[in-house]
Amino acid sequence: LTPFRKILIANRGEIALRIERACRELGVATVAIYSEADRAALHVLEADEAFLLGPAPATESYLRGELILDIARRTGADAIHPGYGFLSENADFAEACEVAGIKFIGPTASAMRALGSKTKARQAADAAAMPRTPGSTRALASLAEAYSVADEIRYPVMLKAAAGGGGKGMRAVARREDLKAAFEAAQSEALRSFGSDEVYLEKLIERPRHIEIQVLADEHGNCIYLGERECSVQRRHQKVIEEAPSPVVGSDLRRRMGEAAVRLARSQGYTNAGTVEFLVDAEQNFYFLEMNTRLQVEHPVTELVTGLDLVHLQIRIAQGEPLPISQQEIELRGHAIECRVYAEDPDNGFFPSPGRITRLLQPGGPGIREDSGIYEGWVVPMDYDPMLSKLIAYAPTRELAIARLLRALDEYVIGGIRTNLGFFRRILSDEGFRSGRIDTGYLDHLLAEPARRDADAETSDQTVAAIAAALFEALRATPASPVQPPAGAWKSAARREGLRG
Amino acid sequence: MKLEVEIQGRLRAIELEPTTSPGQYRVTLDGEVIEVEARLLRPGVLSLVVAGRSYRAVREDDAPAGNGGEVAVLVAGGRFPYRVEDSRSLKARRARSGGHDGPKAIKASMPGRVVRILASQGEEVEAHQGVVVIEAMKMQNELKSPKAGTVVEIRVAPGDTVSAGDVLAVID
Repeated sequence: LTPFRKILIANRGEIALRIERACRELGVATVAIYSEADRAALHVLEADEAFLLGPAPATESYLRGELILDIARRTGADAIHPGYGFLSENADFAEACEVAGIKFIGPTASAMRALGSKTKARQAADAAAMPRTPGSTRALASLAEAYSVADEIRYPVMLKAAAGGGGKGMRAVARREDLKAAFEAAQSEALRSFGSDEVYLEKLIERPRHIEIQVLADEHGNCIYLGERECSVQRRHQKVIEEAPSPVVGSDLRRRMGEAAVRLARSQGYTNAGTVEFLVDAEQNFYFLEMNTRLQVEHPVTELVTGLDLVHLQIRIAQGEPLPISQQEIELRGHAIECRVYAEDPDNGFFPSPGRITRLLQPGGPGIREDSGIYEGWVVPMDYDPMLSKLIAYAPTRELAIARLLRALDEYVIGGIRTNLGFFRRILSDEGFRSGRIDTGYLDHLLAEPARRDADAETSDQTVAAIAAALFEALRATPASPVQPPAGAWKSAARREGLRG
Repeated sequence: MKLEVEIQGRLRAIELEPTTSPGQYRVTLDGEVIEVEARLLRPGVLSLVVAGRSYRAVREDDAPAGNGGEVAVLVAGGRFPYRVEDSRSLKARRARSGGHDGPKAIKASMPGRVVRILASQGEEVEAHQGVVVIEAMKMQNELKSPKAGTVVEIRVAPGDTVSAGDVLAVID
């Protein structure tokens, strides 16, 4: 059992930085990789070594498995951590790492093949006697087959990419006449996003909750679950807010879901960290959805309520260590909620808002964790997912965790680009969210309602903003400004009074 | 000094007068006198105490706010775009933009790449009909016609990179 001395991190953004931090804590050197668009990204600045992959598009940079493996060899890295997205669920890449003798920090290629494809995972779920949504367990061969499966399980149905994730290649279909267009759109989106046009059909569960179980398995046959995460607050099938524990999962349901997840992982010889996703209906029936064979974006909420560091554990498992904890020792304490902060404009259809971060004031204080990959002056590239950071609050109760998040959102200022920070204020203040009455349709309903405004507060904020604007303009006094430099008395007064700091 | 600030479409007259005590200003806003204590914490970040209430105001960037250029201040979680101009040019511009006749431009709301053109030059379009599709950060956004009319000009082609504010098409 030899500890890793150097790990290549095959990712970018906040997760690359998150993994670098874990490596530092464990005394492991880090190798970053980057595209031309990311030379100044924080994950490059914070790494011990950094290597250019190529131009900005992911296919010419972060998805170049052979080149990345070659860099790992050249730098003498013992292991590669793939993060999430990019190559993290690419079994061919995991296999190439195995062949090259460089440890892939994740499951084996064969476990990934058995579970990473959603259709194969559905077959595995049947073998492990897990409840799943009705529908096909193989890719649809034709539109005709799609019609026949949909007719059998009855509308509404959901089309999904077998290789999918992150809501891509997914289409809900309410009526038979919409199936053809949805099938074709799902296929082409799946091909574009994942390089495979395989799609399958499943019954659409009405108003479900999305609840997932974190599992950890070592290479000595130990497998445990670390409780659930509630991820029902979604927009376009993309998670927006995640929390642990779920407001509706009691100890019995948690145990039954957790044991089912462990059963599935064991049945495929799964190792390292993974997540088994379920839909839970109003009667608390749960249905297996898919398994994510990697670290999840929302892993911090589990870390906070279990007190464990999942990236440390991933590295230790990959080094061949047995799990340092047993199922009985897992204890959930408190409540954690995460907001995915995006460079997008909620007032403009959530359109991405890349560009320079001109001002950045980051939150802190008790119970606040901010996992980010940004800094003031950095230009958010247009080429990748627009997530900037994850703002996570931890507190003894859900109510207090919400209060902490709202407080931290007030401290958080990101200027120069649009963000969804204000959108989180709205969700966290909404009675539906606060009472825990959420399902995967919750956010669409909230967005369909006009935002409630506090007119008095807005007027007073606008007044302050106008005063601030006038002061800023007075301070600028640059020749380019049409604002005439004030009388000498003003400038000298400003200097005298220390307004310029 | 006297300034006119257009903020959220509202024109506000502001007079700033330093007082004898440090950082203290007498601000006259639309005729109302407000006591303000101000400190520039660092470029672009201002602490204000307005009638006893403490605020942090952040000016979004360093670009000048004059000549029609728009910048924004961030206060209490809100974003307030503003313009500062001398009163004459501001009035003239507002008068010009008052009418709804004349050609209208479809501008890129964000930087990105042009993916598709949905209407060709000379085509009649309805108000809110999609004309150009832009992609940024893996998301596509359809930019719609601001009014019913004829596409008189398409200024971009698929594959072009555009910046925020670039004119993509003109509808008349």
